[in-house]
Amino acid sequence: MIPERKSLIIDERQAAAMIRDGMTIAIGGFINSSHPMAIVRQIIRRGVKDLTVIGPASGGLDLDLLIGAGCVKKLVTAYMGGEHYCPIAPLFRVAAERGEIQVWECDEGMYYCALRAAAQGLPFTPWKAGIGTSFPQVNPDLKVFTDPINGEPLLAVPAIKPEIALIYAAHADPYGNVQHIGTGFGDRALWRAAGKTIVQVEKIIPNEEIRKNPLATSIYGADAIVRAPYGSHPFAAPGYYIEDEEHIREYVAAANAYAKKGDRRPFEAYLHKYIMEPETHADYLDVVGIKRLISLHEY
Amino acid sequence: MTKEYATDFTTKELLASFIAHQVRDGERVAVGAGLHVPRAGILLAHLLYCPNVRLYVVMTFTNLIKEPKMEPFYTVTDFRPAKWAEAYVLHDDFQENPRLVSDMFVVGALQIDKYGNSNLIGVGKDYRRLDFRGPGAVGTLSMAHYVDRYYLYVQSHDRRIFVEQCDFISTIGWGEGGADGRRKLGIPGNGPVYCITPLCIMDFEPISKRMRLKSVHPGVTVDQVVENTGFELIVPESVPETEPPTIREIRTLRERIDVEGMLRRS
Repeated sequence: MIPERKSLIIDERQAAAMIRDGMTIAIGGFINSSHPMAIVRQIIRRGVKDLTVIGPASGGLDLDLLIGAGCVKKLVTAYMGGEHYCPIAPLFRVAAERGEIQVWECDEGMYYCALRAAAQGLPFTPWKAGIGTSFPQVNPDLKVFTDPINGEPLLAVPAIKPEIALIYAAHADPYGNVQHIGTGFGDRALWRAAGKTIVQVEKIIPNEEIRKNPLATSIYGADAIVRAPYGSHPFAAPGYYIEDEEHIREYVAAANAYAKKGDRRPFEAYLHKYIMEPETHADYLDVVGIKRLISLHEY
Repeated sequence: MTKEYATDFTTKELLASFIAHQVRDGERVAVGAGLHVPRAGILLAHLLYCPNVRLYVVMTFTNLIKEPKMEPFYTVTDFRPAKWAEAYVLHDDFQENPRLVSDMFVVGALQIDKYGNSNLIGVGKDYRRLDFRGPGAVGTLSMAHYVDRYYLYVQSHDRRIFVEQCDFISTIGWGEGGADGRRKLGIPGNGPVYCITPLCIMDFEPISKRMRLKSVHPGVTVDQVVENTGFELIVPESVPETEPPTIREIRTLRERIDVEGMLRRS
């Protein structure tokens, strides 16, 4: 009997079931693009708590939503906002001001240092930028030490290892060969550092398609693949759709009602309508509506 | 040849023109998306004066000299301008060598002190209970460390921003001052060159590296700048008006770069 290659395809519910209270997870993408939202929404539905979330180098409103839903204990990222939609993520801001979440303060350079150390199995990566700033003071994990070669002060950025990385990409075959459209931002760094990587894709393609252009394979060896068309909505998906400006503005208004006026009802209504009520990703897409979805084309 | 100056322009267009004159041909230059004025200024430099710059636009490198008109992009993740790409930049390569990303850089801030040190972390005395939590440092700290020089850019000019001492420092300017203020900390590069605000341009006095008024924008008085600055600003005896944009610059901005008119709105 010839052995068969094993399919790694699971659904978003099986993926989210792997995320347990208190875990350290990473979520890929970049600010307003490429987040594995079908899995993120399912994590919220399940009511997972006390997560340490490593965002992208610059995080977006997907993380703000997770904070607002009460899933996050600690956050690792160098920026939290939605660029022109909102310069500072609203629920992140109030949760940080009240001490409801811990922030692992870093800049993008330090962020990649931490992931690189994890990937290489090293205790830390040395970094020069940060000497003379407040970073070692506000983030005690960053240690100033003396460079043994030149005797100058350096910053030791400790390894941060995600147990599971959740990444969004355009395509994958059933065997864990992933191809991004666009650059893939810092997703490869999360994959290299993580214990396990689950990739949510727009489309599953045959292994033959992957072999047509192996240079495009950005992640070779994902541990599981989740198929979720329009799965980055309301954020953009390079090659497929732009971000849903109207939906993001609806979210920002709901989040701001709480962050600026203390009225949590609009955010609760958002959670109810888009996350708690729809049982699956397909149900979510139904709520958003096909007309809106197909209006989000790039050209 | 005498310059033909424009007479009808907004402060944002004036600042875009000022920024355009800071770019040098052949440089790598990061073009952000969120700050419309620096974005427009860098593109203006490229189209008129610096045909050989390598523009870092939405995670790609490109040259747009032949592009008749820039389609607007407001986020660093907008994939549409990727149609111009000559190369993709994997964002995690940032850490391999930030210098490859840009030779000059623009840094925003919640607070700036008299030596050009700046803060994007937050405002308040206790980090665990901030009065106002900022967006975070993004890549400003590492970029400002590795680039040749950088520019501080803020969208308002008041005593909340220009403070005697930042509550936290996320990006080093001239440290505790002095021409060797950066060298003493082992930090390379030429640091912040100018601080650009809606009221004025400020530079750094060469000996003390304290912030000094360089020029005021049309309709702004020196007193107005001093009143709205929370530290003692060095004010030279005569302070010129910021050099206006040329007619050609304004035409290029309006017809090719800022077609949607972001710089013409207040």
